[in-house]
Formats: sequence, structure tokens, C-alpha cells
Amino acid sequence: METQFDDVPLEHDKGKGFSINDNADLLAEILSRLDGRSLGVAACVCRLWSGVCRRDTVWEALCTRHVSGGAAAARAVVAALGGYRRLYRLCMGPVLERLPPARRDEAAHLSLSLSLSLSLFSIDCYERLGGRQRSSLLFLRNTVDMNMME
Amino acid sequence: MGPYPCGSAATGWEGGRSEAPCAAPEIDGLLAGAGYRVRSSDLCHVAQRLERLESAMVGSSGNHVDFAHPASDAVHYNPSDLAAWVDSMLSELAPADPGPARHAPAPDAWEDQIYSQPQRAVAARMEEEEDSGIRLVHLLMSSADAIQRGDVALAGSLIDEMRLLLTRVNTGFGIGKVAGYFVDALTRRLFSASSAAAASGSPAEYEILYHHFYEASPYLKFAHFTANQAILEAFEGHDRVHVIDFSLMHGLQWPALIQALALRPGGPPALRLTGIGPPSPDGRDSLREIGLRLAELARSVRVRFAFRGVAANRLDDVRPWMLQVAPGEAVAVNSVMQLHRLLSDPDSPGPAPIDSVLAWIRGLRPKIITVVEQEADHNKPGFLDRFTEALFYYSTVFDSLEAGRASCSGAQQQQSTAVAEVYLQREIRDIVCCEGPDRAERHEPLMRWRARMIRAGLRPVHLGSNAFKQARMLLTLFSGEGYCVEEVDGCLTLGWHSRPLIAASAWRADDFDEDARPIPDNFIFNSISNTNESNSSINNNAAMLRRRNSNNNNSRSSDSSSQQESIHGM
Repeated sequence: METQFDDVPLEHDKGKGFSINDNADLLAEILSRLDGRSLGVAACVCRLWSGVCRRDTVWEALCTRHVSGGAAAARAVVAALGGYRRLYRLCMGPVLERLPPARRDEAAHLSLSLSLSLSLFSIDCYERLGGRQRSSLLFLRNTVDMNMME
Repeated sequence: MGPYPCGSAATGWEGGRSEAPCAAPEIDGLLAGAGYRVRSSDLCHVAQRLERLESAMVGSSGNHVDFAHPASDAVHYNPSDLAAWVDSMLSELAPADPGPARHAPAPDAWEDQIYSQPQRAVAARMEEEEDSGIRLVHLLMSSADAIQRGDVALAGSLIDEMRLLLTRVNTGFGIGKVAGYFVDALTRRLFSASSAAAASGSPAEYEILYHHFYEASPYLKFAHFTANQAILEAFEGHDRVHVIDFSLMHGLQWPALIQALALRPGGPPALRLTGIGPPSPDGRDSLREIGLRLAELARSVRVRFAFRGVAANRLDDVRPWMLQVAPGEAVAVNSVMQLHRLLSDPDSPGPAPIDSVLAWIRGLRPKIITVVEQEADHNKPGFLDRFTEALFYYSTVFDSLEAGRASCSGAQQQQSTAVAEVYLQREIRDIVCCEGPDRAERHEPLMRWRARMIRAGLRPVHLGSNAFKQARMLLTLFSGEGYCVEEVDGCLTLGWHSRPLIAASAWRADDFDEDARPIPDNFIFNSISNTNESNSSINNNAAMLRRRNSNNNNSRSSDSSSQQESIHGM
């Protein structure tokens, strides 16, 4: 099969073209543009993808999309509290789910969701420090009647 | 059909509404606004008949009910007289099973045909429950009135009657549950030894109840998040900040502030936190433990942090020098549902402890004072008034908890809701059973707090749209249907179905021109500390050994037990 790249010797080509799996960083770059649910699905594809999806940078890109400023300083703080992946799983995901779908991409809502999630996340981290039962985020597991949201 | 002597059932269709020949008593105002005239006393029946009409229309779908039929050959009744209209509609619809003549007069016959037997039993039971609920409220009011008049015998018999009624009512939710708690409180008031509520459990117990109330409902989270937002905004531009928390509990308010300060553009300030709380009876220094945990969190996010604990049983035992406010730092005072404990009976003579506390707060010149209080009037001197207010307030709170319980998934959450109810029960008992200095839960509405703060020389700070949006988004995380956030003159209230239940406001005292009273922290102070480290709790016993400032007429001293002795005059 002919490849798209002229400098790849055809006789060594086993019929494969350029693969998305060739470069993990590139893969991370692509996956960081997905939404949370799709990232979860992507993590189930294969071991490579699962490993890439565990990178905090991918989840950082997801959480801080449309949010401006202070990325580097925030990274250290969030890492100390438990990392962006955990932040999304415990807080940001449930918060975003409660937003009406039309509003989920609005910058103002995302920014507010992030700051609220960070507050809740810090309380959870604090509870973990105490070694006692972590219960401050349990309310996020409740079902919420989305029909009531405007 | 039910006779409506003033009804206009017999009139033909007219363009406008026909007037009833006699003055119709108590037309329901809300429905009148929508164009329907229904008497308030008939609302229940009309609602039931509308339901039957619906089930008759929907249920007879296999019977080809011609919906145009009622309109075609029948007399058109005036639809704004809703009661008569629905009765006439019911009488015209063909029943599902063939029965007697359509226009049979007896309503019971219709009930048999339209309802099958079990449905009718359910309907009857619902009516009975509703009636029992109304009767319970009635009995509660009567017994409170009897108590106010001093008629103990009557009150006792009414309580017995209520207990009997409670066995027939569902006490798992709704009015049955709330009534149960109030009946229990009334019983305690009448038949227990004096100040029974004083034996209401240890501070450790209270902390557990508080924690479950925190988990099960949004009220405390709303309080914390709103106060934190105000504090964050007030601290902008300062790099040494000091927060004084009037009730530390588990310190759940502060991780979020520490995190927000860590992320603030320009870097975090140096944060000092002074937490006030009751002394631990068993020698553990619980305040210091909380302080250590917060310090660890702050260290992990690189915020310079120092903690100090002040152990005091009552807020008016605290003196400003214990807080060690340093010059040049921005001070924030945070009070979540603590200030109301300092109030006294409105008609008792002399200044209340609140006045002296507000005075020394003002003396600290804080950049921000965040006050969150229950939005209710439970400080009325008259028992019946207070009882009534409390009944309606706590019914609303229990309703909101119930809605939360209905949507929650885990067993732990269900348990939290149950324990949260015990937390509220404590408050109910205090309001109903205690009098005079024993009563601590003296809630007052926002308007009165505002007046009091302004009288004390504090200036209001508007809470701003960030706090409002954050509160609204926080509420969406709970069952969003009943809770509502409102902004009133720069203060935020959180309520359930448009009844505000908790109100947050912010104040400042850092920029007045007159000389403030000298802050009495220039006393030579040696702390007797429990540990050898610099962050220590100050036991109130130490305070008793100090020379005291004479700026309080009502200064009270206490030792570390819960006994109180007052020393008047200096």
C-alpha cells in the first residue's frame, strides 16, 4: 500500500500508515480536547491510551478550558490537593453535569464551575488529611432532577 | 352534586363572569387572579373533583368519550365558577362502566363508578391524613396558648390527644414528623425538671450533629461559601491577613479559603486563623488538632499559616486581647449562627451581651465581618408567638431535608439526614422549653440584625454578584427544585420555596474617623498554655487570673465547666 510519506521506504512498509499511537505526547494533545465522558471511554481502549489518559495534563486541559490566567501556579496547588484527574472525577464532572447542556461551554459558567469545584475539592482533601470518613462530597452523588433546571 | 347556594351553576354562558347573588365568602385570592372563583373552603373538594374528572377522561379512553360532547348539547356553565363547572363536567361524561342515568344527583354513586374500591380507600385515607395534619396543627396552637395562659391541665390533656393522633398519622415525613418533635418539646417543657435542656449533650456530641447537618443540607455550605467569598474580596491587596472564627467546629469553612488564597493572582498572603470553640472536657485539645490539620493543608499549597485556638464556653467570655490582633494586618471576623446566642429577652432591662461583643469587634477595626444567621423571629417574649413562628420555620426546614432525602442514594446520606433532624430537634427544644438565660437559640430576622449592626457603628458591605452566582451554582448541586437564593439589599438569603431560612450579610468597621476605644490588648499577657508550642489554646481559667478591663457592665466569668457565675460591676 502506498503511504503518504515519501521518505518511508515502501519495501519495509507492512501496510500500516501513520498511527495515532506512534507518539504518546501527540496522543495526549489530541485527547486533551475531548470532554470528560469521552476521556473516560478513551481510557478503556487499550493500555497505551489508558496510560495517556492517566496523565494529569490531559485533565488539566479539560478543566481549564476557557479559563484564563494563572495556569502554572494553579497546577502546583491542584497537584498538592490531589490532581486534576481526581478533581474532575470528584467535583468538576458532577458540577458540569448539573449545568443545563446549553450552558456547559460558556466561559463564565466553566470558570465558576472550576472555582466551586476547587473549593469542594479542598474540603475533601482536608477530610482525607484528618483520616476520618470523607463525607463532604457525598451529596454530589445524589440524583438531581435536571428538568427543574432552566 | 354539592349544593352551592351562592353558585352560578344555573346561569347560561355569558361573555363575562356572572356575579353570585350573595356575597361569596373568602374567594381564594390566588385563583381569583387567574380568573377562577373558588371559595377557599371548597379548594380541597374542587381539587379532588378535578382529579376525578381527569381520571374519568383519561381512563375512559377505550370508551371513545367524545370530548366535544360536553360542549355540544349541554348547558354551558360558567367556567370561572370552577367548582360548579367541574361538577357539571363530571356529570356529563359517560362513566366507564354502564351505570344509572347520567345525571344522577348523589355524589356517592359517582364515586363508586369512577373509583374502584381500593382507589377510593386510598383517597379516603389521604383525606383523613390531611385532616389529621390540620388537626395536629390546631392542637399544637391550642396547647401553646394554654401554656401561655398557665393552664397546665388543659395543655396536658391536649398533649395526650396529640400523642393519640400521632399514632394514626404517618410520622415519617411532613407535618406528622415535625409535630412529633414539637409535641416532644412541649412535654419536656411541662413535665421535665427545670432546665432539662441544659443537659443537652456535650460539645463533642454537638459537633457530630453539626457535621451531619452540614452534609445533609446546603445551609451551612451556603454560609461558608458566601462568607469566604466576602472575606476573599475584602483581603484583596493585603499580604498579612487574620481571620477570627467565632465557632471553629471542624474547621470545614477554611480549606476552601486557604485554597482560594493560594490561587489568588499575586500570590497568597500570610494567613493567621484564630478559632474560638468550647474547651474539650477530656483533656484533648480539639481546637489545636483542627489547627494542625488546617496547617498541613496550608503547607501543602504553600500558604504561610498560623493557628491559634481560644477556648471559651461563651462568646462574651472572650476578650480582644486573647485574639492578639497585630497591627497592620487585615482582620476578618466570621460568625456563623453564633451571634444570636448573645441576645437576651427583648423586654429585659439592661444591655444584652451582644452590645459589648459588637463593641469590641468594632474596636478590632476589621476589614470585613461576615454574619450568617437563621432568618426567623424566635426571640419573641410571648410563648405562643414564638411557638407558632418556630413551627412554621422548622416545618419548612424539615420539608427541605425531606426532599433531599428523597433524592439521595447512599445509606450514609440517609443516615446523615436522620442525624441532621436531631440537630434541628435540639434547636426546637431550646426554643420551646427554655426561658430566660437558659435559652440560647434566639434567632432574629435579618432586618433586626441590620439595625443592630448599624447602631453598633458598623457599615454594610454588599455581597456582590460573585457570591450570588456561586450560591446559585452551589444550589444546583442539590435537588434544585425547592431552594432559592435571593439578594436583599446586598445580603443573600437561602430559602425553601420562597421562604427565606438563612441570611448572610457582611459589615466593616475599618474606616471610621472617631477614635475607637483603645483595644485592650496592651495588657501584659502571659498565656498558660497546654502545650509548649507557640500555637496554644488559652484556657479560660487563665482569664480569671488577669486584671480585667472594666468596659463591660455585664461581664461574666466562667470556669471550664458549663456553670455560669455573673460578676456585676467592677
